[in-house]
Amino acid sequence: MDEPLESTTLRLADFMTSPQGWGREQGRVVYNKLLSFVESRPGTILFRVSIKGVTRVDISFASETIVELARRYRGIKGFAFIDLEDPDMLENWEAAAARKNQPIMVWNGSSGRVIGVEPSQGTVEAFLFALTRPRTRATEFVKAMPNIAIANASTKFKQLWEQGFLLRRENVAESGGVEYVYLRIGGPEV
Amino acid sequence: MLCTVALPSAWVNASRLEDALRLSGDPHGAAIYDVHILFPVGCKVMVDAAIRLLSLINQLSFCTLGVRLNFEEGEAGTMGYLNRVGFFDHLAPAVEVLPARPAVSGADIYRGTNLELVEIARINKDYRDETLLSRLTDALMCACGTRNDAGELKGAAWTIFAELIDNVFSHSATPLDGYAALQVYTRGGKLKVAVSDSGLGIMQTLRPALRTEFPKLTALSDTDLVVEIFRQGLSRHGPDRGCGLKYSAAKAIKFRANLDVRLPNNRVLLTPAAGSYQANTAYGYDQLPLMWGTHICFDFRLNG
Repeated sequence: MDEPLESTTLRLADFMTSPQGWGREQGRVVYNKLLSFVESRPGTILFRVSIKGVTRVDISFASETIVELARRYRGIKGFAFIDLEDPDMLENWEAAAARKNQPIMVWNGSSGRVIGVEPSQGTVEAFLFALTRPRTRATEFVKAMPNIAIANASTKFKQLWEQGFLLRRENVAESGGVEYVYLRIGGPEV
Repeated sequence: MLCTVALPSAWVNASRLEDALRLSGDPHGAAIYDVHILFPVGCKVMVDAAIRLLSLINQLSFCTLGVRLNFEEGEAGTMGYLNRVGFFDHLAPAVEVLPARPAVSGADIYRGTNLELVEIARINKDYRDETLLSRLTDALMCACGTRNDAGELKGAAWTIFAELIDNVFSHSATPLDGYAALQVYTRGGKLKVAVSDSGLGIMQTLRPALRTEFPKLTALSDTDLVVEIFRQGLSRHGPDRGCGLKYSAAKAIKFRANLDVRLPNNRVLLTPAAGSYQANTAYGYDQLPLMWGTHICFDFRLNG
């Protein structure tokens, strides 16, 4: 049976001194506070980043805070936005993520989209499949897409994990071997 | 040797200031010990020229040159406007002002009462003015609030101002302050927001890093390189930085703003074309008199 995914919600506004975040220097100060918060929770692998209470961020601030954190922990821990509805702020987070080539999920209820980087044409189908459920195994994808070989499916998920679109856990399969379980970053736990 | 900068009896924007500087020779020149700047009757200094002039004068004073400003019309003329925008509040104390420095600061008395003006604000990373971005954005919205795209413009303007000011912090490396100001010109149907610093120019910090970070761009002229800074986003720190100016420009283009960038010895004017700033629509001026730092002005149209 799959272990529950340890997650927490991080309110970005709690780490800022004002509702407006701008500039690299201020971003680095906030980054250090965020890093301490993340490091103090070694078992937590998913951080839902709530933007509630933040009225504006510029691209430099965005780049130095959550985007940098997501890049640092790529493949190890995941960061997903919630309560991010302001189009201008979304545009700035997106620009910062694109510049660092870092995909980040934005969730609005059960609907999620990735900003910063799009998955490649070869992996987009596997990514969309993984988004529909909290955990995915390559075997489940192959069952749904019988024309794809298991080795090919495994490669696609591995790429998505390495590029920061998904998280990954090692499980012991029923056969006794190692089985990788891929976890979407954010979204509702079912 | 004395260098005299004679401004014209007319509106003086950044271009006219450049003309006057070119005719004067080079106030930063090695043989120059004294600089006189003449403001004749009828001279009306605009905000983009005012903060460039302020930066230049403070640079010259910092180099221990004797600087004298001569306002022929006294406070009845452009001196009154400069006092209102806070020019003298930031002017180096050693600079001589004729007929005399204003007794009281117009900016101090009237600050915030004119919604079409944001008085000259100091930019210094040790004294960060947290209200400056909101004041600039509110002034812009007050002037451009009737545009159809006013809602979008507000968020974009805030980001543009934030990135420009943060850029001053990043490139400052100087004890001299940077400045920002905004003025609406209702009759001219435009709004100018200008940011100026006396630090290392973008080009001085970027050129040495080109060989390792962007080797294909080493052969570009300064004008073309400025275009690429705003188009691609280039930074001495490598490809994952430099996004601030690029996305500021991208936002400004959406609102068809013109962009004027003055570097230590050159100046580039960028006009939006086909949704971006392009090298073939950029006007470049090289071999200008030295002015340390980076000086940027965005011109927004009031009616979209």
